[in-house]
Amino acid sequence: MNILAIETTGAEASVAVIDDKGEVFMEGSDQKLNHLQNLMPMVHTLLTKRGMTIDDLEYIAVSEGPGSFTGIRIGVSSARALAQAMDLETISVPTLKSFLYNVPEYKGVICPIFDARRSQVYGGAYRWIGDGEFTEVVPGAAYDLHELLELLEAAVQPKQEITFFGDGILPYREQIIEWQRSSLNDNIRVRFAEDGVKLQKASSVARLALEIYRAGAVKSLYDLKPVYMRKAEAERKLEGKA
Amino acid sequence: MKENQFITLGIESSCDETSAAVIREGRDVRSNVIASQIKVHQVFGGVVPEIASRHHLDNINTVIYNALEEAGTKLKEVDLIGVTYGPGLVGALLIGLATAKAMAYALKKPLVGVHHIQGHISANYLEHKDLEPPFMALVVSGGHTNIIDVADYNHYEVLGRTRDDAAGEAFDKVARVLGLGYPGGPLIDEAAKKGNAHAVEFKRVFLEKDSLDFSFSGIKTGVLNYLNTQRLKGEAVNVEDTAASFQLAVMEVIVAKAVMAAERMKKDRIVLAGGVAANSLLRKMLKEACDKKGFALYYPSPVLCTDNAAMIGCAAYYKYQAGLADDFYLDAYPNLAL
Repeated sequence: MNILAIETTGAEASVAVIDDKGEVFMEGSDQKLNHLQNLMPMVHTLLTKRGMTIDDLEYIAVSEGPGSFTGIRIGVSSARALAQAMDLETISVPTLKSFLYNVPEYKGVICPIFDARRSQVYGGAYRWIGDGEFTEVVPGAAYDLHELLELLEAAVQPKQEITFFGDGILPYREQIIEWQRSSLNDNIRVRFAEDGVKLQKASSVARLALEIYRAGAVKSLYDLKPVYMRKAEAERKLEGKA
Repeated sequence: MKENQFITLGIESSCDETSAAVIREGRDVRSNVIASQIKVHQVFGGVVPEIASRHHLDNINTVIYNALEEAGTKLKEVDLIGVTYGPGLVGALLIGLATAKAMAYALKKPLVGVHHIQGHISANYLEHKDLEPPFMALVVSGGHTNIIDVADYNHYEVLGRTRDDAAGEAFDKVARVLGLGYPGGPLIDEAAKKGNAHAVEFKRVFLEKDSLDFSFSGIKTGVLNYLNTQRLKGEAVNVEDTAASFQLAVMEVIVAKAVMAAERMKKDRIVLAGGVAANSLLRKMLKEACDKKGFALYYPSPVLCTDNAAMIGCAAYYKYQAGLADDFYLDAYPNLAL
């Protein structure tokens, strides 16, 4: 059994295959934001390197979002089209949760944040609790940064370390450090993820996809939906007027 | 369905229509499913790119499924996938493209990217089974106003283009200021039928002598100025008369230039295409002008004038026949030139 995992929600795209034993192989691109052009050639390279063809795949998994709206759509439409052409089922993988698999041994709180502009982030917080189980510390959503930090502050346990991941580190690093300094909760210890694990990775998407498959939560391509976590700007403005 | 007949799956998502079509042997439309977003965007008074992209993604797989069902075709029987790769809204284009690329890869079938305008012109091949190039094409739509010398199925030369607004854009804007709503083309066409086209004299903009280019921003301003003047004078505006007068002024210029182009290039056939090709006045005036010159006029039925995937499938077929296919690096080009 092989699952193809597609990750196009961030600046760098990657694809991975995972088998039912959990052995995973990834192919990435350092070409930024050219996912439409590069995705299928990247899939081809991955399969060729593994001595596989597209016909060896049984499920198509995709990083569902949040992230770049365009990136999400490239991933979801490609995954659905592959599934439709080959008559396969799909696996929808929550992008924020996939960061757990970037650091599977980590004991602290994993907090991915993506720059959502307008001083917001798409973020959430999770933590491994042993035996391959994890728990949600803060649910994934679009937050004002301070809002997310308040939720974190209320939720973290004494002496627990929080590591921030994602492209939101870049614009918000100073604010997060400032929050740690000024926090009344002196238990808060902040770290920032290192380069190799900082961003979305198809190998992590594949690992979470395998867990979702094991839990029996695969779905028809027609039920595979993008997770934007935010309405289109024009819709918000319209609702504001009403 | 198969039996050794060449099957093309066409996919179109360049603006606010999600469409998929199955074409047999290049010209035989077995299905042409169109999911229109007109109602979605009506409330915003125009197409909102982010919302269009979201709806394309919501609809595309079902549209393809329905097109195959209606044609009685299985995806495995498809010989070629053709898809619009520009011009258009980039976020909208990429839904069709990502889908077409992934399907072509999975099915191990060739992929052809189609220029949206080449698609519009090809709609005429679907409607008129004997039509072949060369001819003069006039493409008028929400985003385009072009006079094109079509030498062969895959050889185009743009002789005239708009320097500012496309004709369809001018229709949308004027419809908005007249309070008719969106989309402007059919609404102005309808209102104009009840109006006097000579009630208001709007300036016809021909640009330099002999130029085949267009400019529609002037007449749009002309309508605005007229409305303001009437308001200042405290005089009522007759919406039907204004719509009819505006429409006549636009169409006179378009028809005159199309005929001028055909004469200049010694073509005796004019092919009309694009969303505005469904406009009843344009069809009537162009027919009269062609009759006077002894030119033949071709245009598609209204469903093939609008953005649709059948025309894209047809254009893809002729590109593929000429040995033109694309690889899986095919990208979206919002400002693709013909």
